[in-house]
Amino acid sequence: MKASLRVVILSWEFPPRIVGGIAPHVYNLSCDLVSKGVDVHVVTCDFPGAEKSEEINGVHVLRVDSSKISSPNFATWVYLMNMHMQSEAADLINHLSGDVDVIHAHDWLVANAAIGLKHIFRVPLVATIHSTEMGRRNGLRTDYERMVHQTEKWLSHEAWRVICCSKYMASHVRSTFVLPEERVVVIPNGVDINDFPKEPDKTQFRRSFASDDEKIVLFVGRLVYEKGVQVLINAVPKVLAKVNAKFVIVGDGYLKDSLAGQVNRMGLNHKVYFTGFIDDQTLRKLYGCADVCVVPSLYEPFGITALEAMAAKVPLVVADSGGLSEIVGHDRTGVRVFPNNADSLAWGITRVLLNPVYATWIRTNAYNEVLDKYNWMKAGEKVKILYQWIRSEHQDGSWKPIRKAEKYVPLNRKSNLIIRPEVEKTPSLMD
Amino acid sequence: MRVIILTWEFPPRIIGSLAHYVNRLAVELVKNKVDVYVVTYHDIWNGYDEGADGVKAYRVSNPVKAQISVITWDLSLNQEFARVAADIYYSNNREVNLIDAHDWHCVPAAVSLKKAFHIPFVFSVDSLEDHRSPGANTPFNLSIKGIEQLGVHEADKIIVKSEWMKQEVNRIYNVPSEKIAIVSPHSPSWISEIIESYKEAAIVPEDIRAAVG
Repeated sequence: MKASLRVVILSWEFPPRIVGGIAPHVYNLSCDLVSKGVDVHVVTCDFPGAEKSEEINGVHVLRVDSSKISSPNFATWVYLMNMHMQSEAADLINHLSGDVDVIHAHDWLVANAAIGLKHIFRVPLVATIHSTEMGRRNGLRTDYERMVHQTEKWLSHEAWRVICCSKYMASHVRSTFVLPEERVVVIPNGVDINDFPKEPDKTQFRRSFASDDEKIVLFVGRLVYEKGVQVLINAVPKVLAKVNAKFVIVGDGYLKDSLAGQVNRMGLNHKVYFTGFIDDQTLRKLYGCADVCVVPSLYEPFGITALEAMAAKVPLVVADSGGLSEIVGHDRTGVRVFPNNADSLAWGITRVLLNPVYATWIRTNAYNEVLDKYNWMKAGEKVKILYQWIRSEHQDGSWKPIRKAEKYVPLNRKSNLIIRPEVEKTPSLMD
Repeated sequence: MRVIILTWEFPPRIIGSLAHYVNRLAVELVKNKVDVYVVTYHDIWNGYDEGADGVKAYRVSNPVKAQISVITWDLSLNQEFARVAADIYYSNNREVNLIDAHDWHCVPAAVSLKKAFHIPFVFSVDSLEDHRSPGANTPFNLSIKGIEQLGVHEADKIIVKSEWMKQEVNRIYNVPSEKIAIVSPHSPSWISEIIESYKEAAIVPEDIRAAVG
């Protein structure tokens, strides 16, 4: 048994290739695991200008041929990309003499490659399910959606443990994929407070979004139905009746035109500003200028934007839905309002904007909660404990790669003969 | 010599002529003292089966039932091929001399196993996408050709059944002709020629042998 833990992480995105939330998640987690002495190898898709193989903050990154032949559709591309990812990762693990403790897969996008590698090398598999097809589509209608769903289910059943980022998500994953309770562990996402500017620029930069006498109400997220921007727009006149404010909507999505039309019909063009997609650095400066941040989601597995607002010391108003209900304590770290209810949302926003003392109270509590609970060091610690725990379970079991010198004993007989050693009580990952 | 044959059709599952060909191949190899494992697909008749002819067959089903095309169907099935082939490898004390993959359907598993364990890999080409769908260059056809391309590129030896097919593999995929062996199923010395090609492919260079131990 070697001293340090070694993990091979499979992810379809890793900086500089950033599509959604998985890239920053895997990046932050990998860096933190390295700082805790874990040997981390990330296998990901190639990206123009990025090295085939390099070391970033101690993380070994291998970028594989992501199948550039045109595919009939996204899911077929994903499957083909997995074929290349699997063979290149097999080569990597072979060079590591098969000496890997855990293979860690992020979402169905790498399911095929991860499952095959698990069986080829007989290394335990951990899967993080960030979201589900059932949740993203609100049901399954086509064979395409059913295939993605079954691939997710297959991954969750092949995994030694499944990681979810919230209790809400864990319960959704357990019931959707029919998993035993002990198979799913909750490890919340983290956010890095150092990413946010200490002294926000409240003059020149702020003036490109709102005039000085306007409060800034900030929304960040994809402009899609489940994010609830339409509810926020309906709340705008109700807020304006009490406070002068500018509503800044950051993000892009298929609802953009319909939302712009809604604003136009309500005669609110001068009060609602659609910025489109903006880069991380500008966004973090913008957080610093906001007077309140709103997350009105109808479906939300976790709610990373809520964490970002908390880290940026912006008071938070969220819909009482999904993972948001777990992150935000009402009247303690934010305001929770009824989901899909414009009156309730307007009440929450004005409550924050009209009570500076209350706003300071919730945003200070929220910031402290982030420091205490939602940082990558905490997440990394829990993931490392999980890896160690799985390694010890794997060592006690009989499903193992057979070394050349060992004689093969059929699995069922060996497990009868073995006297299982006392295993330490499993550490709790819920707190 | 121990050989794992990967095929998407094998009796009782018969799609075309390949099932009969692979069956005859497996039976003849057993007669010639080759330890043969066939890993193949069947939707309901799964598990291990050893026939009176001495051929050991493992049949797996597809872990993903809802599918959008034969490509995705094939790629999820290959994970089960890889799992069973790895089981055979471990249960035989890591001694498997060769993987013989028939047509593009079995290429993904064969390539990963080759990379993982340095098991030499023979790609037996019965037909090519260019001939099955002549002139069709839709993303669907191109994706299958991409898998064939990976197969011919990674194979240690390509076995074809005719001079014409050798020229076609050479023309379409730019494979050096010395990598391609022609073994006609109608030749009287067919099985000994197959075993000869297997032996050529199974020669592992000394430096790799040293690295694997």
